[in-house]
Amino acid sequence: MKGFKPSAPILLLLPALVVLAAVVLVPLLLSLYSSFTPFRLTRPETFFVLIGFRNYMSILSNPDFWWAFGRTVLLLTVALNLEMLLGLGLAMLVEKATSGQRILRTLMMFPMMFSPILVGFQFKFMFNDNIGLVNNALQSLGVTQDAIPWLIESHLAFTAITIAEVWSSTSIFAILILAGLLAMPKEPIEAARVDGCTPWQTFRYVTWPFVMPFAYIAMTIRSLDVARAYDIVKIMTDGGPAGRTELLWTLVGRTAYSDARMGLANAMAYFSILLSIAFTVYFYNKLAAARAQIGAEW
Amino acid sequence: MDENASARLTRRTLIVAHRVGLFLAMLVICLPGIWIVLSSLRPTVEIMAKPPVWIPQQLSFDAYVAMFSGIGKGGIPVLDYFRNSLIISVSSTVIAVAIGMAGGYAFARYRFRGKSGMFLGLMLTRTVPGIAMSLPLFFVYARLGIIDTHFGMILAYVALNIPFTIWLIDGFFRQVPKDLAEAAQIDGCTRWQAFWQVEFPLARPGIASAAIFAFLTCWNEFALASQLTRSVNSKTLPVGLLDYTAEFTIDWRGMCALAVVMIIPALTLTYIVQKHLVGGLTSGAVKG
Repeated sequence: MKGFKPSAPILLLLPALVVLAAVVLVPLLLSLYSSFTPFRLTRPETFFVLIGFRNYMSILSNPDFWWAFGRTVLLLTVALNLEMLLGLGLAMLVEKATSGQRILRTLMMFPMMFSPILVGFQFKFMFNDNIGLVNNALQSLGVTQDAIPWLIESHLAFTAITIAEVWSSTSIFAILILAGLLAMPKEPIEAARVDGCTPWQTFRYVTWPFVMPFAYIAMTIRSLDVARAYDIVKIMTDGGPAGRTELLWTLVGRTAYSDARMGLANAMAYFSILLSIAFTVYFYNKLAAARAQIGAEW
Repeated sequence: MDENASARLTRRTLIVAHRVGLFLAMLVICLPGIWIVLSSLRPTVEIMAKPPVWIPQQLSFDAYVAMFSGIGKGGIPVLDYFRNSLIISVSSTVIAVAIGMAGGYAFARYRFRGKSGMFLGLMLTRTVPGIAMSLPLFFVYARLGIIDTHFGMILAYVALNIPFTIWLIDGFFRQVPKDLAEAAQIDGCTRWQAFWQVEFPLARPGIASAAIFAFLTCWNEFALASQLTRSVNSKTLPVGLLDYTAEFTIDWRGMCALAVVMIIPALTLTYIVQKHLVGGLTSGAVKG
């Protein structure tokens, strides 16, 4: 667009670019600026005071922030890997089914329809130490006498959150991997079997490389939206007990809206944005690589 | 035991194991939903009972009746929330799909400099976590005076949906052979006509599913809505769920009922598009 007439694709993309610039880019620049100020919602005049990197310094020296950061990375790693494994398992189970595929596929997508906040409430209800389904079942089956404090003890709370997160997102992996399995040509598998591969070898060297790009698509989609865990955590524990399940996002929300320290919160928000971008770019590159590999092989 | 018999036995065991595995997996997937529906129909006493009552003694639609009977009678302004959700979701979906169609078409049909970079850049705008987005948006919206308005929410949701809509629609347009549109152009169509009469009808099911996906994103969004809405003017259903919570107690039955009301549209729509959705997401994967 250096002086010459804008071309058709640029014109077509213009509305998208304008909206995104107005709603995402400009506000982000604004928040970048305000991350260098001691801005508090309650004291608007602080918006124009520059304090350099002091917000960032105070974040970096704040152990609570690093705990939240580490916990976020841990949750994402554990959850994404579990979702991938379970999704793969589920997809293979459904693919093997001889009848009722359509019904099974619909059931499989069930969790995708739940709003993350609904998932939060639903699991908060089920993990409730007094009236929750999980404890009621465990007690009725005689596994335990006491009520297990699922959302109150910090490790258990983290586990419960992971379970909720995995439940809500496994189906995205499953449905995409299933699409991969169904799109896969049958000859290579038969060839591998004729050549005497064990089922495990067939899976590892024939099926898996083919399904991999589909798994990475799911990963990319998920990483576009990793922050949906915010809704779940916000509802289930709200960062508690005593900040033990605080994630980056809940910490940002609390600093911004409860403490009204916008400048500091914006500085934190930039860390969470960088984290999301890192995840997305990583999987996007993996996806491109996996695609190229298949293109070479088939 | 001869080899045949043992092979048959292994096969049968495998089939049974497969059935059991499938059943357990589906049970885990469906149980939370079933539990919500069941709880919305049971009286609070039964939900709170200790030791638990497993077999429902009495089922009733009381929670639903109470919910719709308005403020002061144990209800919440659910009709207002429903209307807000509907207005916001539908308008932002329509706008996002229109913009997404233009963008997706550009990515699918043209070669231009910085194409893949721009594609990734668009995607990256989607990665900004809702809560991080809400801070500057809250500030800007407060200045512009569009907090707690439909317009503000629609604008935010359009931006939220554009990247993904472009991705999906790009995939669907790529599945439509380029030759078809070219043939139409040779026969005398303008590019504009060729698009509307040839390419658009072929990609329509895909575009419909992109629309439904965008709709569901708006329908379910919470992080932004919880900060940018304040009252019945613009509160959406996900934010409305919080009305059932008090400082220390939660009205589980009422909440479950509202949850069911929220899920039914989502369930219907997802069921309609499930097939096309996967096609759009993966169409680039195999062909590269």
